[in-house]
Amino acid sequence: MKQILTIALGVLTAIGGFMDIGDLVTDALIGARFGLALVWVTVVAVIGITAYSEMCGRVAAVTQRTVFDLVRERLGPRVALFNIVGSYMVNALTLVAELCGVALAFELATNVNYMLWVPLVAVLAFLVVWRMPFEIMERLYGVLGLALFVFVVAVWQLGPDWGQMAHDVTHPTVPPGEGTPTYLFYALVMLGAQMTPYEVFFFSSGVVEHGWDRDKVGQIRVNNVLGYVIGGVLAIGIQATAYLVLQPRGIQVAHLSQTVLPVVTAFGQVGLALVIVGIFAAVFGSVLETLLASGYTVAHHFGWRWGKFERPVNAARFSTVILVTLLGAAGFALTTIDPIKITIYAVYLGVLTLPLTWLPILVIANDRRYMGAEVNGRLANAVGVVYLVLVTVAAVAALPLLIATKGGL
Amino acid sequence: MTDVLHAGLDLLDRQIVDRDGELVGKVDDLELTDPEDGPPRLVALLTGAQAYGTRLGGRLGGWIVSAAGRLGGTKQPVRIPFELVEKVGPSIRLSAAVSELERVERVDHWLRDNFIGRIPGAGNAPE
Repeated sequence: MKQILTIALGVLTAIGGFMDIGDLVTDALIGARFGLALVWVTVVAVIGITAYSEMCGRVAAVTQRTVFDLVRERLGPRVALFNIVGSYMVNALTLVAELCGVALAFELATNVNYMLWVPLVAVLAFLVVWRMPFEIMERLYGVLGLALFVFVVAVWQLGPDWGQMAHDVTHPTVPPGEGTPTYLFYALVMLGAQMTPYEVFFFSSGVVEHGWDRDKVGQIRVNNVLGYVIGGVLAIGIQATAYLVLQPRGIQVAHLSQTVLPVVTAFGQVGLALVIVGIFAAVFGSVLETLLASGYTVAHHFGWRWGKFERPVNAARFSTVILVTLLGAAGFALTTIDPIKITIYAVYLGVLTLPLTWLPILVIANDRRYMGAEVNGRLANAVGVVYLVLVTVAAVAALPLLIATKGGL
Repeated sequence: MTDVLHAGLDLLDRQIVDRDGELVGKVDDLELTDPEDGPPRLVALLTGAQAYGTRLGGRLGGWIVSAAGRLGGTKQPVRIPFELVEKVGPSIRLSAAVSELERVERVDHWLRDNFIGRIPGAGNAPE
């Protein structure tokens, strides 16, 4: 029984890690513009993130080393520095988006402009990382985040033509009025939203911090697969509701209120309440994760003391990075920059950093000196290599596509 | 591990931990002597911003070294004598405690005393 509970909690945490403002915005936006024509990208992304998270968790459990620690060891200080600067910037941009996301959830609930909520969200985040027992928080947000399943239930409530939906998923076409480059641009946006880099390094840090070892490799695998698959179902649910409600009416997603509109159509006020709770929990959880991840990237590169369980005075450099990042991100969010655009750019730029982060994971997971019996099997390697090629192609194509489509317009 | 240590693969950029498992820093560089009557000998692990900047090289590396030199009062890197190394593995374990090593935690303590420690709720500084 206790085992089941532990697994359930791990899965919840994984779902929470998967779902963030990037998913909430891009799934709805893409559903409204492209219908179900990019569902296949979600499937592709879930397999990739599961494979690399599993490898990363296994490596962390066996060697007690985190991603950026290994990145530096394998790629040397120059490439690794380039990598952490890139990852840190993307992560900080994601933090800006997540802060705005929680504030937007408050705006939906209160009709008070989100800008007024941004400082409050930042203060809340500070209090949690400074004082709270993190594990309890993480689980609390995981449980509350389940409210987002209202998106999946809404698909049934809206009574769709299932045959047509199945056809649209299996025969993806670029909708009239959209160019192929734009379609590919949003395919990369989707890939970035669902293979968010911070998920992987947050996860590997968690494994080391909780002191999980070889014995936990099986449990880590279960958490991962279930968590990401359920997260993927949720993502497809959001795309489907947007396809059913927004696309026929020609509604574009420019605000979080459009993301939740289909749920309100299906369930009215109750739906709205549930979805706001779900968004708050999932996105606030992501605020904490991106915030800690910013500290992890830097501390792991330089070998500083770090950890969400450490008292701030015992890890002063790590805590300083976190505080400065939080202040900077909150300040940036307050410049009235469009939070939806920030979200799109953050997930898109994330694609650029994936190859350099994933390559060392794949290399170490194959190193028998480190991994012993837990070295990569054939399946993990086959999937690993295919995805490394895929994310490399995506990273190379990302900037030309961004310019060619003028940011997806 | 084999008997032969490969400086680039087995030492550089590895995590250094003290005898209690506390994180000390990275092996940012190595100090070798070149005696006339024999092969070069490894005498110390170098860590910290000065060593990191030197290793990084280029304009950025030079800038890091001079900034660290100005703030820390010396451009000399922090040395950890190789005699203190107890075990070389995925991380490098020392036989000393981090508090016994000179200069290693200077930045950390400065931030603790002047910034982090002054914010309420940061926890009491260990005496």
